[in-house]
Amino acid sequence: MAILSRISAGAKKVLGIFYPFKFSLPYLKGRYGIVAVVIIAGIVSSVSRLLIPVFIGEAVTKIENLSYSGVLSVGLLIIAASAVTAVFQFIVSYGSLYVSQKFEYNLRNDAFWHLLRKNYSFYEGQTSGDLLSRNTMDVHAVRNFLNNLFSQMLPTIFLIVFALYFLFSINPYFALIFLVAVPLLILTGAIFQKKQRTRWRRIRTYYGLMNERLQENIVGNRVVRGFSAEDLEIQRFSQTTGSYYDEYMEVAKLRGFYNNIMPLIVSAAATGVLIYGGYSDIISSAAVGPLVAAVNIFSLMSSPVSSFGRLIVFSENARAGIERISTLLETSMEEDVDNKNSVNLSGSITIRDVSFHKGGKKILKGINLEIRPGEFTAITGRTGSGKTTLVSMIPRFYDPDEGDILIGTKDVRKIPLAALRRHVSLVPQEINLLSGTIRENISFHREGISLADVRRAARIAEIDDFVMSLPDGYDTQVGERGITLSGGQKQRVALARTIAGLPGVIILDDATSSVDPETELRIFNNIRQEIRSATILLVTHRPSALKYADSVWKLENGEIFPVIDVSVDLQGITDGIRMNFYEVDHGKDI
Amino acid sequence: MARTYEEIEDDLIKTSSGSAPFRRMVREILGMRRDSAILVTTVVVTAIAGTLYPLALGYAVNAILGHNIRLMEYFAGSFFLLYVIQFFSNRVRTIKSTKLAQTEIKSLRDRAFTNLQYVPEDFYSKVKTGYLISRITNDAETLSEFLTFQLPSVISGISTVVVSISIMFYKDFDLTLYALIIIPVLMAFTISIQPRVRDNYLRTRKTIAAITGNLAENIAAIRTIKAFNVEEKVQDKYRGLNQENFTANMRASKLSSSYGAIIRLLEAAGIIIVILAGALQLIHGRTTVGLLVAFIVYVQEFFDPVIQLSQLYNSYQSSLVGIARIYGIIDHPAEENVGDTNEKLVFRDSIEITGLSFSYGQGDALSKIDLKIRKGEKIAIVGHTGAGKTTLSNLLLKFYHPVVGEIRIDGRDLADIPTRSYRKLMTPVLQDPFLFRGTVLENILFVEPSATREQVESLIERFGLSGIFASLPDGVDTNVGEMGRNLSEGQRQAVSILRAFVRDPEILILDEPTSQIDPYSEKLIIEALRNFLREKTLILITHRFSMIVLAEKIVVLQNGNIIEEGTFNELVKKNGVFSGMYRIQYGDT
Repeated sequence: MAILSRISAGAKKVLGIFYPFKFSLPYLKGRYGIVAVVIIAGIVSSVSRLLIPVFIGEAVTKIENLSYSGVLSVGLLIIAASAVTAVFQFIVSYGSLYVSQKFEYNLRNDAFWHLLRKNYSFYEGQTSGDLLSRNTMDVHAVRNFLNNLFSQMLPTIFLIVFALYFLFSINPYFALIFLVAVPLLILTGAIFQKKQRTRWRRIRTYYGLMNERLQENIVGNRVVRGFSAEDLEIQRFSQTTGSYYDEYMEVAKLRGFYNNIMPLIVSAAATGVLIYGGYSDIISSAAVGPLVAAVNIFSLMSSPVSSFGRLIVFSENARAGIERISTLLETSMEEDVDNKNSVNLSGSITIRDVSFHKGGKKILKGINLEIRPGEFTAITGRTGSGKTTLVSMIPRFYDPDEGDILIGTKDVRKIPLAALRRHVSLVPQEINLLSGTIRENISFHREGISLADVRRAARIAEIDDFVMSLPDGYDTQVGERGITLSGGQKQRVALARTIAGLPGVIILDDATSSVDPETELRIFNNIRQEIRSATILLVTHRPSALKYADSVWKLENGEIFPVIDVSVDLQGITDGIRMNFYEVDHGKDI
Repeated sequence: MARTYEEIEDDLIKTSSGSAPFRRMVREILGMRRDSAILVTTVVVTAIAGTLYPLALGYAVNAILGHNIRLMEYFAGSFFLLYVIQFFSNRVRTIKSTKLAQTEIKSLRDRAFTNLQYVPEDFYSKVKTGYLISRITNDAETLSEFLTFQLPSVISGISTVVVSISIMFYKDFDLTLYALIIIPVLMAFTISIQPRVRDNYLRTRKTIAAITGNLAENIAAIRTIKAFNVEEKVQDKYRGLNQENFTANMRASKLSSSYGAIIRLLEAAGIIIVILAGALQLIHGRTTVGLLVAFIVYVQEFFDPVIQLSQLYNSYQSSLVGIARIYGIIDHPAEENVGDTNEKLVFRDSIEITGLSFSYGQGDALSKIDLKIRKGEKIAIVGHTGAGKTTLSNLLLKFYHPVVGEIRIDGRDLADIPTRSYRKLMTPVLQDPFLFRGTVLENILFVEPSATREQVESLIERFGLSGIFASLPDGVDTNVGEMGRNLSEGQRQAVSILRAFVRDPEILILDEPTSQIDPYSEKLIIEALRNFLREKTLILITHRFSMIVLAEKIVVLQNGNIIEEGTFNELVKKNGVFSGMYRIQYGDT
């Protein structure tokens, strides 16, 4: 019994090679017919391929008997078998590529679909380089495996099965010798697979690390240089490439042995056939043709069998890739952005007993806040006091751990996300514009709005003059292939983008931090004058902006307090260095 | 539209004599003499062993036909022995070829990375980050596949063919000629389809690059996409690019699959020619059955290397481009006079800027600047966005070099001072507070490994920054995440400030260091700075006024010119640009 269970465990391990195939099945829905055709074509081409050595053997027999016409007719048979092989091999090859590429196409779309639905917390735990490599390299690894599975792995297995049959028909003892070799081959393959699995995983990890180090070094190159940390960086990078090299060498040692032992096993069996067949032929004076056929069958096997080792590597890569892709495909940490039902929402916001934890620390402790429609409310507080966390919960970038947030009378968790985010537009401090023109960037969520509307939004955001001063105006390209905007200009384009969407609630989360103070004040003035219907929520610690607000609140130690008198209540937040002649005169004396 | 670095480089690669970088790499690999000698030996041994076994098989068949058991045993034994030899030589070959390939790749990567530390700063404004990363990781990886897996098997395949043909000619000249008839056909066919293979290859590469680019952009902008709920639109675009890639792939697939099928037919034709010609020869008694059997095996074995070779073409093309690009990075001229960090530089008297002009291409960013900063002086450079303040700081930090005029430190031209020792003297707090992955503490200690945790903690205390870090789950041991994203902008600035202060430098350049920090915390920092700066020189760049209390002298920049200069009181009274800025920010407090 123990032996039986070990055998079944072993079989499971061997079948593990096919795990990526199982994974791919849902992505091949509707193409199972093609998969079947490819597999059948693989069987047919294996058979017809094996017929060639059989016919060659026959040709040798005919030659032995000096029958030239016999040789000719066998020659025709070889041509026929080759033609059949060629046609079916085309089907196998093209079909495998079709199936694997269709899979890649479907998986890519699916992975991207999931990616777009992951919530903010998910992205906090991920690096962009890693996400990118999962969606490209890992998907590609699975595709490569699938292609090899259909075009090489399965045909090789069929080849082994039919080789056994042909050998048996030539001489049962030939088949017996072969039967000893096959389990040996499988065993070798299984050990090889097991041994290199962890290695490949580490190679991928180091590869990722190499990417990360490189990216940081390039993006942060001024810090590296400014602090003369080049040597340290070079040393760290070289360490990473060193570990990568070491792992590769470990794999090479494994490959050196296992990849080459496989053809050796095949050739040992071929030698066995040759010697055994030789004895019996000499003793019985039988024709040598069948023996030639048998040895030829073995040499036909040797190349596919030796590349089987590489196919196992592909399977390993694919497996590691699937593990990494799977975290994207899980539905955890996803939000529903597909419910497009529109909801009529009011401009009032109610924050009720909201608490929030971050890494075990309570950042917000039971916040209560009421904002009426059309009001301009400012929230201030020291750096790190939780202002961004609080306002991010309104468009549900995060959900509170305790308490509720309501728009009008509706709990934000009950409002379809699409409708909520159309209604509540948050402009963050850090801006990401997409490549395209300025106009496309301002109107990308409301295609088809007129240039006049785009310009109106840009005027409020105080960026219209700048854009008009560019030779191509609103058709100027930004991003990779276009002009580089300064931080303040980007912030203003982003603000125009939000305004153009006509949201009911605008949240400005320190959204003008890189804009110079004069322009910033003009922007707030414009917003006050021109966007009367929207509720405005401003997060800032600049006292100059507070005068535009109808009410001011401050966050302190996770709690919120109303600010009645700006000069008294904001002590410890906005009371910076007082700028007067007296102070400066003393400053000179330092 | 301005041409990108990538486009210029692509043209360069297209027009240059293609294989020069490849030859250079091969030379470097052959430079590892011992390992490459072993590799060449094993390739030759493998090839010879691989060629002799069909012959052993043929002789064994002859022995069987001649009813000679001893000879049959002898040749069958040799048949196996040749495989055993091949096993050992292949084993060494696998290991050595990987070693050579991976050593070269590591060296290419390390050299490229090292040079990136020393290329002139403006290189980074010309080249995209993603581009550089993919050159050093991705392209080198393609090269790794090519060098470790594909090239060795093709080389050994070709050497097998060469040795086989020699042996065949030696054994039977006429039959060899027949056996070789098919080779030119095979070659002509393979070469004739290469232009189409190349087109297909370029098309698939372009479409996959489009997918990767789109994906990278979307991941970077994911928060914007979600905030504006444009997931579907983005998905449609991606699906379109994906479809284009699929179509291009299938086109390439059709060609490669047809090629494979036609090769099989040619192979069969080759075998038949040998059998028919061999049969004729046999009838005339000019050859033996065994030799014929051996020839059949030889012909079959010609095809594998040729098929591999045709597959190699694509990898070769892409590797070639990859190699050229990596060498492009390695060979990019480095900054002159970088020096090393050990040389200690002492600042004695003054920094003097005379007649300085600078341009990024069109129009002067700075023109004819004259400015003297004495040791121990605290100076503020003020002006609107785009006035040239940060350009001036970049020049002082030696990130850029003056086009006209010069900067002298104690009378010595900055260009002559080794960059790295100069930067030990002058420490910046840059506008963009870039953080590395790791904890807050690690980011601070990164620049001053000799500092201790206690020192950092006391600095935090001294500059009143403990409040700013209080909300972090693990205090200074909190992981800052990629690009410091787990921290708020203000927290990142605080780390960036600490990073500079922990070095205790002689000259401090602060470029809007506290723009994202709340005024109260800023006040605490400023109070602490008064003490900290006692013996130091300060160059402060700002368009906000809060930190100006630290400055003794103020320089106002507008459109690249110094338009006002003086003490705070002088400038406020002057009713110029400075007093205008002051009134807007503080007019009503």
